[in-house]
Amino acid sequence: MASEPPVTTGPQGEVFDLGYQRYDGPREGRSRARKAIYWDGVKLILGIGRGPKSKILPLLLFIGAMFPALVFVIILSVAGDVAGFLFDGPAGYNGMISTLLIMFGAIMAPELFTPDRKDRVLDLYLVRPITSTDYAMARVAAFMSIVLALVYSGQIVLQLGLILTATEPWGYIKDNWQDIPRFIGAGFLVALFITAIPMAVATFTNRRAYASVFVIGLFMVTAVTVEILTQVESCPGHARSMNGEIILDELECEPLTGDAAKYIELLNFGAAPLFMNDLVFDIESRSELHDAIPIGAYGVYTVIPLALIWWQYRRTRI
Amino acid sequence: MPPLLQAAGLTKHYGSTIALEDATFDVHEGVTGLLGPNGAGKSTAIKLFLGLIRPTSGSAEVLGTKPYETVEGRARLGYMPEHECLPSSVTASEFLMHMAQVSGLPPAHARTRTADILRHVGLDEERYRAIGEYSTGMRQRVKLAQALVHDPVLVLLDEPTAGLDPGGREEMLDLISRTGHSFGISIMLSTHLMGDIERTADRVIVLEGGRVAQEGPVSDFTKDTTTLLVEVDDHHDEIITALSAGGVTAIRRGQSLVIEDAGDAELDAVRDALASSGARLRRMAPHRGTLTDIFRDAPHGV
Repeated sequence: MASEPPVTTGPQGEVFDLGYQRYDGPREGRSRARKAIYWDGVKLILGIGRGPKSKILPLLLFIGAMFPALVFVIILSVAGDVAGFLFDGPAGYNGMISTLLIMFGAIMAPELFTPDRKDRVLDLYLVRPITSTDYAMARVAAFMSIVLALVYSGQIVLQLGLILTATEPWGYIKDNWQDIPRFIGAGFLVALFITAIPMAVATFTNRRAYASVFVIGLFMVTAVTVEILTQVESCPGHARSMNGEIILDELECEPLTGDAAKYIELLNFGAAPLFMNDLVFDIESRSELHDAIPIGAYGVYTVIPLALIWWQYRRTRI
Repeated sequence: MPPLLQAAGLTKHYGSTIALEDATFDVHEGVTGLLGPNGAGKSTAIKLFLGLIRPTSGSAEVLGTKPYETVEGRARLGYMPEHECLPSSVTASEFLMHMAQVSGLPPAHARTRTADILRHVGLDEERYRAIGEYSTGMRQRVKLAQALVHDPVLVLLDEPTAGLDPGGREEMLDLISRTGHSFGISIMLSTHLMGDIERTADRVIVLEGGRVAQEGPVSDFTKDTTTLLVEVDDHHDEIITALSAGGVTAIRRGQSLVIEDAGDAELDAVRDALASSGARLRRMAPHRGTLTDIFRDAPHGV
């Protein structure tokens, strides 16, 4: 006869409250703090860990950055050299997506600075083992990484397309290998520029919309002003009435020419990184000035905003 | 044991405004209250200990280092501000994990600590809700949790019960007391509410006009005194006159009579005065000190 299973009485298990446990694990100090702020910034821009709506804009921007390259590669594979008449290849690619990059900077850069200041979360960062410069630079690095990814993604698609559709891929690489360091270098300079100005603007306001509008306005106003000063040959004059209709006289304008026009062109913020792009790719420069001058203008347009970011956070107090 | 915080001749001037003047005090393990009215210099003292501002003269040391010279010491320090400082769109869990990493903890450890701390502050069930959906009491607990998540040696709490209803205040004071006495995390609690200090603190430092007015164990301020309180329903004036005739001075305070330095002779005189006046006695007891008395007795007034 099989024996009966033993009858158990009393408690079968107990739940213990271990109480508060002290932490004696590793503490990685400032380097961990910088990494945490950097990755938080990257996730914030890409909408990782947030709802689907937060992911739509970055996704569209990435598609937008790669779209011209995909079109180029498709045309290249179907129609061969005809594509060369439509696109300038790697050297012209940054110019093609520059408007998209400026829009991206204007819309997304404030996301990294303004909510922390508006909600005063910044106060909690500043009492941790980091300096305000650590915080600001980690955020800048996060934003620039995303812009770099945007800039490079299209160029990578383009390069792969050019190599794979070539009659002799290896021969193409041997003949055009210099395009790779060039697109990396030019992309870096473009990304630094797209990062610096919008992020600097974002340090001066707690309202995201104000920062975005200001950045878009800045690029538009400088582009239009330079266009008017250097290209427009007629402009509206006095208004007069004729048979009950208001008519504007056309006046002849004399656009700026010569050295004045060349220097004025440097005031077009949107063109500044493209001057650098032309220099890196060693193609005919958009600027007819000595190379040192557009390089200097680019330096001013990037160093001053970065210095402003540093200065704004250095003087931040809780 | 060396002090956790040390202020030596600590002075901070903002232009011609004196925020803190020659303050010298130590904060040791346990819960220490920093008590004072608005403008007494409490927030300035906290900012100096956090290294956010430099002293005009004197020194502030935290765990043996000068916080305004290096930020590394803040890895073992926690801070809960009085004002709102939480993002609304992220969950408490996500936010605390991030803040633990900003304090230097590796991601895996930050995750474990976050779960532990949220359980301790009673937000375990709510950890995946966006902070924006929390009540004021819950947000205060998240603020405390972010100050504790990296297991600091010392936490500076600035008016932690501000804006809470009576129930929320009780819960927060319980949590503070548990943190200070059971978790082994020392606390400096800055407040203008004496009740908060009486409920939680072991020691108190009283700031007044930027100077240290008094300091010592809270029990020293709340023990029985030699002042006698006699509460009667009526005949106050007759009792005062009768006592005065016997050489005992009594002061009327509301329904009570207050007799300072009451010994046996004074007690006999009170008994006789009560009997002769026919007054109905409600209560007679030695006065137990409260922190309110510090301000009433302060030489400069507060």
